[in-house]
Amino acid sequence: MSDPSSIGAAPGAAPILRLRGIGRRFGGVHAVRDVDLDVHAGERRAVLGPNGAGKTTLFNVIAGEFPPTAGTVELFGVDVTDKPARARVPLGVTRTYQISRLFGGLSVADNLYVAVIGAEGGHLRPLRLGKDRAFRATAREIGERVGLGPVLDTAVGELSHGEQRQLEIGMALAGEPRLLMLDEPAAGLARAERVKLTEMLLGFDRSITVILIEHDMDVALTVAEHVTMMHDGRVVVEGTPDEIRRNQMVHDLYLGRGHGGDE
Amino acid sequence: MIPARLQWPVGIAVVAVACVLPFVVSGFTTSQILTRAMILGIAAASLIFLASLGGWVSLGQTGLYGVAGFAVGNFVEADGGSKTFGMNIWLATILALLVTVAVGLLIGAIASRSEGIYFLMITLAFGVIIKLLFEKATDLSGFGGINQIVQPEIFGSAQLQPERIYFVCLVVSIAVYLGVRYFARTPFGLAFQGIRDNATRMKALGYNVTLIRTIAFGIGALIAGLAGVLNVWWNTQISPGTIDIGPLIFLLMIAIIGGLYRIEGAWIGALIYVILDNRLRSVELVGERVATALGIIFLLIVLLSPGGVMGIYESISRRVRRPPSGDDAPAGGEGAAAPGVAGD
Repeated sequence: MSDPSSIGAAPGAAPILRLRGIGRRFGGVHAVRDVDLDVHAGERRAVLGPNGAGKTTLFNVIAGEFPPTAGTVELFGVDVTDKPARARVPLGVTRTYQISRLFGGLSVADNLYVAVIGAEGGHLRPLRLGKDRAFRATAREIGERVGLGPVLDTAVGELSHGEQRQLEIGMALAGEPRLLMLDEPAAGLARAERVKLTEMLLGFDRSITVILIEHDMDVALTVAEHVTMMHDGRVVVEGTPDEIRRNQMVHDLYLGRGHGGDE
Repeated sequence: MIPARLQWPVGIAVVAVACVLPFVVSGFTTSQILTRAMILGIAAASLIFLASLGGWVSLGQTGLYGVAGFAVGNFVEADGGSKTFGMNIWLATILALLVTVAVGLLIGAIASRSEGIYFLMITLAFGVIIKLLFEKATDLSGFGGINQIVQPEIFGSAQLQPERIYFVCLVVSIAVYLGVRYFARTPFGLAFQGIRDNATRMKALGYNVTLIRTIAFGIGALIAGLAGVLNVWWNTQISPGTIDIGPLIFLLMIAIIGGLYRIEGAWIGALIYVILDNRLRSVELVGERVATALGIIFLLIVLLSPGGVMGIYESISRRVRRPPSGDDAPAGGEGAAAPGVAGD
C-alpha cells in the first residue's frame, strides 16, 4: 500500500473522472467552488468534510443531477458537463444516496430488477420477454450479494433501516458500475453493520472505481486509498489516509481538537 | 388480498356471474345498471391506473372520455356535429381512439412535469378546457349535443337487445383489467411505479422520467377513450354536459369509493355508484337530492376507509389472516402507503 495510486491503473493513465474548476451556486450560496479532482480507474477515493462542505453537491454534479455553474466534468474521457443523469448511466456511473431513495411500493427483487433494466435499456417495453428471466436472475443474485437473500420478496417499505441501506448499494451495483459513488453508506448503521459494510466495500472488484462520502472515519479511512478533504465548498487537503490522520488542519476542521491521530 | 392460488378461480367466478346476470335481471337493469356500471368502471379504471401505478390523481379523464365520444359522433353519421365524414363505425372508432391518445400524449407531456396537487389542477384545467371547447364549437358538438349516433350493426339495438352491448362492455372490461395487471409487471409498468416512488432515483438509474410518464398518461387516455367509445355505442348520443364538472367529480368519487389503489375498485365503485344513483331517487326522503345523498355516502366511505371498498376488504382479510398484534405498521420508508396492483 506504499503507492496506492498504482493499483488498478497504469501510472500516467488518463483519469476516469476529471473535474476542472467546478463551481455550483444556489442563489447567493457557493456550495462548491473551484474544485479540481482526478480519480483513476480502480481507485478508492473518500471525500471527507464537515456538514455543508459541499460533498453531496459535488456528487450531484458528477452524477448529473444538476449541472455545475462553472467548470467541466469529464467521465471516461467524455465531456458530460451538460448531460443529464440518465445519459451518464450508460457510461457506467451509478450512485447511492445519503437518505435512501428506494421504491417503497415494490419488492426488493423488483427494485433491483428496475435497476438492472435501467442499465440494460428497454425502459419502455410493455411486454415481458424471455430475456427478462435473465434480468430477474441478475437482480436476485445482486440481492443475495448485498445480504438481502431472505427478504427478496418483501416490500421495501417494510425493510429495516439497515436493510434499506444494503439495498441502496445493491441498486447501484445492479447498473454494472465502472464508477460507483457512495453517499454516506454507513449513515445510521449499527456498529456490527458498519463492520459488515466495510468488508463488503473492501471486497469490491478492482474493475469498479469507488468514490465514497463518509462521516464514519473507521469506514472511510479503512476503505480509501486516497482522501479528498473539503471545507466551505473547496478542496483543502488531499492525501493518503495516513497523511490525513496526521494532518493538523483535518483535526481542526473535522475531527475536533480532542481526537488522537490513531483512533 | 386474495391468495395467489385463488385469484384465477375467484376471477372466473366473477366473470361467470357477470355472464349470467343479464339473463336473470330485466332488460332495463342490464342496460341502465350493469352496462352503465361497466362503462363507468372502465373510465374509473383509467383514473385508478394512473393513481395506483403512477401516484397521479387525474381529473382530466372525463375530458378524454369526451374527446373519444365526440370524435366518434363526428366521424360517423349522426344528428349534430360534423356531417362531412360519414365513416364506417369501426374506422371511426379506431380513429377516435387514436385522436384520444394523441390528445392524452399532449396533455401528458405538459402534466408529466408536475405531481400531487399541481398535477390535479393541470388535469382539471384540461378537463374543463375540453368541455368548454366542445360547448363553444357547435360545429363539433351540435346544438345541445350529438344525437342518433350510428352504432355497430352486429350489436343490434341497445334498447331491444341490451345484453349484446353489455357483453361488449364486459369483454372490454376484462381486457382492460388483465391488461393493466399485465402492464404492472412489465419493465415499463415497473418503471412507472418506480417513478411514483422515487423519480430522482429513476433518473439516476438511467430512465427518461418525463417520457415514461407522458406515454403512461397516453395509455390512461386510451383506457378513458375506450369507455368514451362504448358510451356512445350504448347511449347513441353525447353532449358537453356528459363531461361537465359534475360527471368529472362523480368519476373521481367512483374511483375513491372503489379504492384508488386497486384496479378492481374501478368496477366495484362504478356498480355502487350506479345502483345508488338509480335507487336513491325512489327513496321518498331523498327525491331530487340525489347528489347530496351520494355526497354523504361518499363521505362515510372515505371516513371509514381511505382505501375505499377495496381498502375495507383488505383490512378485514388482513385481520382474519393475522391476529392483531401491537406492531401492525410497516417500518418507515417512502411510499409505503401505495401497494399498487403489482404487489401480488
